Amino acid sequence: MNALVQVRGVCKHFGGIQAVDNVDCELHEGEVVGLLGHNGAGKSTLIKLLSGVYPIDSGEILVRGASHRFESPRDARAAGIETIHQTLALAENLDAPSNLFLGRELRTRLGLLDTDRMEHEARQVIQRLNPNFTDFKKPVSAMSGGQRQTVAIARALYFNARILIMDEPCAALGPAETRMVLDTILRLKSEGIGIFLISHDMPDVFEVCDRATVMKNGAVVDTVKIADVTPEDVLGMIILGQKPKSKEAA
Amino acid sequence: MRSILDKAGFDARFSALVLALAAIWVALAVATDGVFLSPRNLYNLSIQTCVTAIMACGMVYLIVARQIDLSVGSLMAFTGMLIAWTQTNWLGIDGNVGWLVSIAIGIGAGVLVGVFQGWWVAYRGVPAFVVTLAGYLMYRGAAFLVADGQTLAPLSDNFQRLGGGLQGSLGPVWSWLLGAAGVAALVVQTVAARRSRARYGARLAPLWADALKLVLIGGALLAFVGVVCAYPDPASEDGGGKGLGLPVLMLLVIALWLDLVARRTRFGRHVWAFGGNPEAALLSGLPTKRLLLQLFMLMGALSAIAAMITTARLGSGTHSIGQMAELYVIAATVIGGTSLSGGTGSIAGAIVGALLIQTLDNGMVLLDVSSAKRQIFIGMILIAAVWFDSLYTRGAKR
Amino acid sequence: MKQSKRVVLGAVLTAVLGGICTGAAAKGDIVGVSWSNFQEERWKRDEAAIKAAVEAEGDRYVSADAQGSNEKQRADIDALLTKGAKVLIVLAQDAQAVLPAVNAARQAGVPVIAYDRLIQDPSVLYVTFDNTEVGRIQARAVFAVKPRGNYVFIKGSPTDSNADMLHAGQVEVLQPAIASGAIKVVGEQYTDNWSPEVAQRNMEQLLTKNGNKVDAVVASNDGTAGGVVAALKAQNLVGVPVSGQDADLAALNRVARGEQTVTVWKDSRTLGAAAGHYAAMLAAHTKPAAIPGAVIWKDGSKKLPIAVVFLKPEAITRDKLKLVIDGGWATKAQVCAGVAAASAPPACK
Repeated sequence: MNALVQVRGVCKHFGGIQAVDNVDCELHEGEVVGLLGHNGAGKSTLIKLLSGVYPIDSGEILVRGASHRFESPRDARAAGIETIHQTLALAENLDAPSNLFLGRELRTRLGLLDTDRMEHEARQVIQRLNPNFTDFKKPVSAMSGGQRQTVAIARALYFNARILIMDEPCAALGPAETRMVLDTILRLKSEGIGIFLISHDMPDVFEVCDRATVMKNGAVVDTVKIADVTPEDVLGMIILGQKPKSKEAA
Repeated sequence: MRSILDKAGFDARFSALVLALAAIWVALAVATDGVFLSPRNLYNLSIQTCVTAIMACGMVYLIVARQIDLSVGSLMAFTGMLIAWTQTNWLGIDGNVGWLVSIAIGIGAGVLVGVFQGWWVAYRGVPAFVVTLAGYLMYRGAAFLVADGQTLAPLSDNFQRLGGGLQGSLGPVWSWLLGAAGVAALVVQTVAARRSRARYGARLAPLWADALKLVLIGGALLAFVGVVCAYPDPASEDGGGKGLGLPVLMLLVIALWLDLVARRTRFGRHVWAFGGNPEAALLSGLPTKRLLLQLFMLMGALSAIAAMITTARLGSGTHSIGQMAELYVIAATVIGGTSLSGGTGSIAGAIVGALLIQTLDNGMVLLDVSSAKRQIFIGMILIAAVWFDSLYTRGAKR
Repeated sequence: MKQSKRVVLGAVLTAVLGGICTGAAAKGDIVGVSWSNFQEERWKRDEAAIKAAVEAEGDRYVSADAQGSNEKQRADIDALLTKGAKVLIVLAQDAQAVLPAVNAARQAGVPVIAYDRLIQDPSVLYVTFDNTEVGRIQARAVFAVKPRGNYVFIKGSPTDSNADMLHAGQVEVLQPAIASGAIKVVGEQYTDNWSPEVAQRNMEQLLTKNGNKVDAVVASNDGTAGGVVAALKAQNLVGVPVSGQDADLAALNRVARGEQTVTVWKDSRTLGAAAGHYAAMLAAHTKPAAIPGAVIWKDGSKKLPIAVVFLKPEAITRDKLKLVIDGGWATKAQVCAGVAAASAPPACK
């Protein structure tokens, strides 16, 4: 079966620094792959390559078996990849519907923004994620962390992404909101969506991820099945670049 | 009080600004024995405000997008000289071809300068402050060079009408027609907006609030038309009213268009999004560089239009127009509620801000206040407006 | 005997050679010119005249433009001194603010000519058209047309001492009529930067305030007169007497059309030439008071005795337009553009 996303031998350097070094990884439908590693390991850069912010230097990115070259974020979206960046990429001064449709605004027959229809559509998708979200005229600057995360996720979902990339979605959230995000990830997984998840939180990773790719200094240390390893193994991979003992033993 | 205003859909800050303006008008009317509120003075005030207000509309966009343009005054002088030179030294002042082409040349030059400055900011990453500060120096010098410092006159009679002086207004008939059309358009727009929201089952503002807004705005429009039509035209034999001045007509068209673009088009949405979070705009795939370039082009065109009005009003091309204009334009924009840190701005507010500044200048000359004292007062009002704004935004955040 | 003859011969030779050398050193001197704001219209002609006179004397012309800034003028003068100027011609941006720079020049032994604008320092040579006389000419011409009624004064820039000198001259002529009540002053405003835009706005407001009952406007220069005439035009009041100064081409045209009553011609070529020649004399160590035509004048606000050469300004009214045309200052086409044949002044017929 064709993987949703295949990353083959992708490289990217900035000046003299090799940020992403010959990375291979895969994502299948209905699975969550964790992208792990210490700060500066290359995870965020790999994400930016997959979401079209930077072009790759060499290697291939295949989406459903077809090779793609992403020149801009629009290309990545067109290929079905939606990204929720660490900073959420929300405009603080605009409301939820405006952010949801940013860059892809709905227009009336006259070519003007169809604000009412956008609010309506936004309401549908956001309330499915969070039924308590009611004020659609409030600017993002007045929202809590969880609400902002909801808007960012809703943006990805509205455009029928089958491939989602989430960069540290729970980093700034409290326990209740973290729970909500994790439940959403599990539900999306069950709907067949493939998710790349960057996280530093081991319990979260072990709860939702099926597999994990660990990076160090731009290169992949190894890709493992979560069911086969322990958190200590994973930490060892992240910090020391050591392949897990259980695997070696086997 | 603010919550009532919010529910009714009134922008509290803008309302406060208008109330402040009204208070100043009342104070000046009392101090000048009513001369300040005479139709003639209000007509003059409307013309005097147009130049700053037109440029302020463009400055709103620039400041919202976290940019600035310090060259607008010098650009006014440069494009104004080009317009005058085209008439006096090239195509002549008879007929209509000369002055029409001169306007095209002026606006074209403004847009080209905008492309030049915008290119440095958007594609070379030079801060707008630096680029436009250079422009402030360069275009003043260029204005001098157009005619070697000379004043160019006389200009085409038809062109001079654009200054709002003799035969520079619409007259009562057209003014009332426009006023009525404006009110009708307002009603249609309000009804259509309510219907559109109802179709999606969204929450509607209370009917009384929409009706009140209609009455206030429509009433203000009709009152303004009434006032300027009550000013007997010095040039007419039958004492008919002057009506809307041509510069005011231009301001209305420009302001309505730019307000529409800001609130209801993709371009406007993208400008505001960029101002709110440039990184988000980039990550969302917005054409940010092209956006910035277009903003500077817009500002260049508006500066040229402002130059056209000033030159027509003065009846000659001088290279000294627009001195200090950039500061008044920025002040008007900030008083009107545009934040210098980007992301927030209002066209209507900027126009009221320009009107506020011009009101003070206009009223104080009626009171024989010296120019030095006038400048001090205007500076103090600017500080008060910014202080008030910071109080308001701090309150809103709580 | 032979010994003493040699000494005498030696002394004579030294004196002669010394004389020649001193004379030779006076040629090729740098004449430094500090402009306050070169961008105003008239200074180009002044510059051409100064330059021609300086070069005719065999000296070098070097200049700097302070662009309206006092600080920059200070820096400019310092720079000119550093470049080795033997004499300075200074068009002061502000009569007070320029004093430290003038002191610095004096301490460096460099004589200073105050050009057109007063510098209140007893060591300078002030070369100017008599600005008080200019004011008198403006007032006289307007008064001749309108000896009674409501008068408005549109004055110059509040930071330019010339503006006050002009106004003093204007008031001097009109004072008897003001005192007797024949003339009522209904408005008076300075004009920032001499800006025509500002003059137009101020005039509009004064017309509104007085219900258009303004019978004459004493404007202090042609730029502001242009703004005044534009404001009058908008109220259909063209023909109200207006004065001006500088004989700008646009103003001469207005005089021909009857929109402006008088402008004052200060042939800047004369002023510039005089300054250039006097600069050479000062560089050759002539004292300011010894310059031909100089008088000691004590009527500045500080009452300091200053050597002044007053040049005579010319009133240009409708009937005198021929003067500027014949003087090569403006062409008939420029002066008479758009003038209707029926109402044309003599110079345009």
